[in-house]
Amino acid sequence: MSTDITEAELAAALARNGVSLSPEEVRALLPGARIMQGLISRVNAPLPREAEPALIFTPNQAGQDR
Amino acid sequence: MSEILTIAEAARRIAARQLSPVELTRAHLARIGALNGKLDAFLVVTEERALADARAAEARQMAGTLRGPLDGIPIAHKDIYNTANIRTTAHSRLLEHNVPAADAHTVRLWAEAGAVMLGKLATHEFAFGGPSWDLPWPPARNPWNTDHFTAGSSSGTGAAVAAGLILGGTGSDTGGSIRGPAALCGIAGIKPTYGLCSRAGILPLAYTLDHAGPLAWTAEDCALLLQAMAGHDPADPASANRPVPHLTADLNKGARGLRIGVVRHFFEDDHRVSDATLAGINAAVDFFRKEGAEVRDIRLSPALDYHAVGYLIMLTEAFTLHAPWLRTRFRDYAEMFRDRVAMAALVTGSDITQAHRRRRLLCQEMAAAMAELDILISAAAPGEAPRIDEVPKWTSMEKPSFTMPFNVTGQPAVSVCAGFGAGGLPVAVQLIGKPFQDATVLRAAHAFESGTAHRARRPALAMAA
Repeated sequence: MSTDITEAELAAALARNGVSLSPEEVRALLPGARIMQGLISRVNAPLPREAEPALIFTPNQAGQDR
Repeated sequence: MSEILTIAEAARRIAARQLSPVELTRAHLARIGALNGKLDAFLVVTEERALADARAAEARQMAGTLRGPLDGIPIAHKDIYNTANIRTTAHSRLLEHNVPAADAHTVRLWAEAGAVMLGKLATHEFAFGGPSWDLPWPPARNPWNTDHFTAGSSSGTGAAVAAGLILGGTGSDTGGSIRGPAALCGIAGIKPTYGLCSRAGILPLAYTLDHAGPLAWTAEDCALLLQAMAGHDPADPASANRPVPHLTADLNKGARGLRIGVVRHFFEDDHRVSDATLAGINAAVDFFRKEGAEVRDIRLSPALDYHAVGYLIMLTEAFTLHAPWLRTRFRDYAEMFRDRVAMAALVTGSDITQAHRRRRLLCQEMAAAMAELDILISAAAPGEAPRIDEVPKWTSMEKPSFTMPFNVTGQPAVSVCAGFGAGGLPVAVQLIGKPFQDATVLRAAHAFESGTAHRARRPALAMAA
C-alpha cells in the first residue's frame, strides 16, 4: 500500500467514517495520514494462512475459563 | 515535616506509631498547595475527603487495627478512574461535568486498604495524545524542570509522585502511559500483566491493550500498591481468574540467578536512544551481570512491527469508542487527541484483522524468546524529557515505541530510573517479565534500585518545598 495519500482520499476515508472536516483540517492531518499508511502497510506484510487473530471467539462469554 | 518518605518507610513508621497519618496527610496537602501551581499535576484536591480518610487511618493505628502497608498513605488517582461523587473528567471538555456514582474497582480496593485519597490527577485527554493547551485544564509539568514534558498519559501521577505531592498513584497504560511518565519523571511505574488488575470503572482507551497499574518513587512501593489493586473482578471480562501472587515475598532476593535477555536492537538500531539513556541501560546490564545474573543479547522482530500492530489496534479501538463524539463534537476534543485518533479512518476491516493475526505471531515469538529467560531489558524512553512546548504531534506514531511491544504481548513491564542526562533530567531502563511473573520484574527492579544511588536524588523543586 502506498504511503502517498492525497487530501481527497483522506477526506473520503474520514467522511466514510462519519467525520466531516474542512479542507484546512484535512490538510493538517496529511502528515499523520502518511505515517499511518506506512504502519498499515507494515501490518499487511504476508502472513501464513494458519495465523489466527489474537482475538478468538470463545463460547463462554462469562469468562469463567480465565 | 519536610522529608519525603517512601510508602514502605511511611508504613513502617505508621505501624510503629512514629508517624501520624493525619500529620502525613497535612504535610502532603501543604506540598500540593505550595507546588501544584507550578506543576498542574492535580485537577481536583479532595482535602476534606483526605483528612477524613487520614483520621480513620489514625483511629485504626491507635486501635491496633491497621489494614496493611497502605493504611494512612497519601495517594491520588488518574482522572480516568471513576470516583464516586467526585468529578472524573478524563481531562476532557466532553466529560467536564461528569460525576460518577461509583468508584472504579481498583479505587475501591485502595480505599479498603486504608489509602488516603488526596484528589484526581491530570492525564492526557482520555489517556491519549498530549500535551494539550486547548483543554479546560493545562498539562502537567515535569518537576525536574517545569519547562519540560512529563510524558503521558499518566502525566499528573508522574509529576505528583516525583515532586512528593503523593507517595503513589494510579496510572493506565495502553502503549506506555505508565512507563513513559515514570521514565521522564525519574520514578518507578509498572504496567502489570494484562488481566492482573481490573479495568472496571476506568474510562477505556483500547480494550485489548489497556492496563491499570501504579506509579511510585520505588519499585518496592509499586509492589505494595499493586498488591492492593490486583485480583479477579468479574466485571472486567479480561480479568484473570487466578490467585494474586505475593509481590513482596521475593523482593529482597537480589538478581543472582536471574536469566536476562537484552533486546539491544530495539534501542541501538530500531530507535537509537540518547547517549545518557544508553549509558544508563548499559550500567543496568553491568549491574545485573555483577550481581550474578546470566545476561545475553537476544533478537526479536523489529520494534516497528510491534509498534505498527499496537498502534493500529489502539487507534481503531479508540476511534470505535469515541466515534459518536468524533462525528458530532470533533472540535471539542484537543487537537492532539482528535487528529491522531482520526487516523483510524484509514484502517479497513482487513487491516485490523491482519493486525490481530500478527499480534498472535508476535506473542508467540516473545514467548519463545523468553522460554529460557526471566527478564528482558530494553529502553523505556528515547532520552531525557523534551521541552513541553516542543513535543511534535506525529513523532510518537512514526518512531517505534519502546513500551508498546509489551502492551501487544500483555507482559509485565516496569520503568525505573537509570541515571540522569546532560540536562539534569532522568533517564530510564525498562525491565520486562513473563506473563503473571510481575513479582520477578519487581524483584529485579528493586535489586537495581537498591544497588544504585539514583533514588537518593529528588527534583530541586521538591526539596525546596
